Amino acid sequence: MPVQGIRTVTAARNGVGAFILQCKQLDFHYCDWAGSSRGMVAFLKHQLPAFAKANPQIEIRVSPRPHKHPVIKGHYINGREKAICVRNLEPEQIFNKANLLKEASGEKLKRTKKPITSLNESVRGIWSPYHGGFKSV
Amino acid sequence: MASTLATAKRPLLSLPFLSPSSCELMPLTSRRSQSSYRRTKQRLRVKPDASFGPSMTQVQGDHIVYNPPSSAPSVYHTPAKFLPNDDIRRSLRTDASVTHRNSTDITSPNETPGLKRYHLNPSDVLEIRRLRTSDPLTWSRSKLAKRFDCSPLFISMVCGASPEKKEMQKQVLEAVQSRWGTKRRMAREDRKLRKESWGRDC
Amino acid sequence: MKRLQLQRWSSSVLSPQARAGSRLPRRIQHGLRYQSTNPFPVTDAEAEQLFEEEPSRSSIRPSQISKHALPSPPVEAARESAKLAALHARLYLPSRLPLETLGRTLVDESADPNANFNNESLATLGHDLLTQYTSEYLICTYPRLPMTVIFAAMYAYVGPKTLAAMTNEWGVELAAAPGGEVDPGHLQFRRLAPGTNPNETPMRTDRRWEEQTWRRSVTSKVVNDNVFGDPVRASVNPKLLAKAAAKNTAGVSAEEASAQFVRAVVGAIYLHAGRPAAKRFFEQHFLSRHLNISDLFNFSEPARDLARLCARESFEPPVAKVLSETGRLSRHPVFVVGIFSGKDKLGEGAGSSLLEARSRASVAALKAWYLYSPMNVRLPNSMEEDGAAPWKPVHVDLGEVIV
Repeated sequence: MPVQGIRTVTAARNGVGAFILQCKQLDFHYCDWAGSSRGMVAFLKHQLPAFAKANPQIEIRVSPRPHKHPVIKGHYINGREKAICVRNLEPEQIFNKANLLKEASGEKLKRTKKPITSLNESVRGIWSPYHGGFKSV
Repeated sequence: MASTLATAKRPLLSLPFLSPSSCELMPLTSRRSQSSYRRTKQRLRVKPDASFGPSMTQVQGDHIVYNPPSSAPSVYHTPAKFLPNDDIRRSLRTDASVTHRNSTDITSPNETPGLKRYHLNPSDVLEIRRLRTSDPLTWSRSKLAKRFDCSPLFISMVCGASPEKKEMQKQVLEAVQSRWGTKRRMAREDRKLRKESWGRDC
Repeated sequence: MKRLQLQRWSSSVLSPQARAGSRLPRRIQHGLRYQSTNPFPVTDAEAEQLFEEEPSRSSIRPSQISKHALPSPPVEAARESAKLAALHARLYLPSRLPLETLGRTLVDESADPNANFNNESLATLGHDLLTQYTSEYLICTYPRLPMTVIFAAMYAYVGPKTLAAMTNEWGVELAAAPGGEVDPGHLQFRRLAPGTNPNETPMRTDRRWEEQTWRRSVTSKVVNDNVFGDPVRASVNPKLLAKAAAKNTAGVSAEEASAQFVRAVVGAIYLHAGRPAAKRFFEQHFLSRHLNISDLFNFSEPARDLARLCARESFEPPVAKVLSETGRLSRHPVFVVGIFSGKDKLGEGAGSSLLEARSRASVAALKAWYLYSPMNVRLPNSMEEDGAAPWKPVHVDLGEVIV
């Protein structure tokens, strides 16, 4: 057989074509009694419906966690989760934290050194010493 | 104090970077770092290659800078010869893709493929078959090829080896391979794998 | 041509309660879910009988049927599932695709054998759409690809492995075991028993075909096999297939169930939202994925193939010439060899021996031939739109090099 095919799998490029929000679930834990949850309770009462309506991609769960500080926990498509403790925070600050979790990719935070990461080959190819005109400097 | 000692040891004028064009008079203590910085900076300030600028023949207005990458060509870039006749790129690419090197002056590693001769007639083929089946030990492929002035490949195309000869050759090969140690065997296997990877381009 | 009434068809896909007040017969609005492990659907006579019996059975409401008795979640649970709604929004599915159908796409045939409640019919439609769009794209964009590479590229774009990866990337969770009490947002299928080989096809009856040498040629793959060049299960006796389905002891692998789900989603979009939406979904989710087609080639004798190609196309015979080299007498020499046909360079490659460099250069030249892509490619499915420009024939090639 002159040529045979090699089976591979295409690689996903999220955002090229379709974009899938990586945060798939947000858990809001609060306590009815403790003072550190006051802002969280206000957030759940007044701002959460609007937040949930604005982000239908995220499954939102609200559950009490008595005698504990309030926590927002995000579950991501890559299987990781991120938790932020929001004790003594105002509703606006909690909203910012929820937004932070929503926009995260779920990966560990790491420093990006290159401005661009791409699967595509570079237009000019990989430099090789045997090609191109030989320029004397 | 230290600087005076240093000047005593090394005559100032013999240092190459102290030529009057490249430096001016500075305090001796800071002179060394200053001059080396400037020297390296000047060396790095290279004039861009002529191929980046407009060529002399072109007009100085809008022009195309043709500076091909110094990398192996991409396989997605179809050579002009492979383009079908109705493809518009065929006419566009003729002048730009003229090879910079003249391909005739390159020495060929392999012998230039000669023209096919077709000098054997059916009787010769019959003779080849007869010789190879009658006495396979004497008339090997290479000997037959030498005698009939053709390639061993052609001999194998004309007639295959007899089963007995194949069996014999297999036994010889096994006898040889049985004497190989682990190192040689692994080296041979690696070589085979490497050869297979040529066709996969990895 | 009259426009197809997709909405009318899709109403039959919708499960009974999804569309209150529709044209569906009253017995369906009755609210009883005739769901069982019986693979044979309710016939008309039985339906009439049930309709007659309605007053006596009207006391049975769906809420009174135990969820645990059902093989898959009831239809009305779809409206209450947060996971399902989130998945719908995450994929930006059209609003005309109801949650009930999305819930149905998540029920595999191995979980619920009733064809009215599992995703098999949707997956069949989706598979046909996916393979059609992908093959159109591949053949029109790269008209010279050899058949084996087309098979590999089809597998890469819409093969089960890719679809399973997409299920994962869409954030769909797999249910541990199917059942009526499970959240409808989970993918439900019966898992393989431990120790079974997922690759063996137990339903195959006739292995004689496989042993024939002619059965393994590319042409026979085109005729007999599926779009990936694999032998199909359809060649088995359908009676045995029905028997195996009735027994339904064997589960499916997670990969197979995930692939069926993705296909079913495409089929559901096509049915509910129409062709343009299905095409858009295909382009955004499938074609946008990255695949380097030049990595799919595996040549065994590239120099010979190139010589045959040049002879077929009546080019001058290919000649290998050294373009540059270094360290010929050292331990690590590098040769850059170009393959020339007449004055034109067809390809070049680098290697640590002259033979290797020549072989790699031949590979590059052959890939350059096979990966030719015409300009302004227009796919045949663009003709389905209203007011499309007249069709111009695409480039058709002689085919791959046959040695």
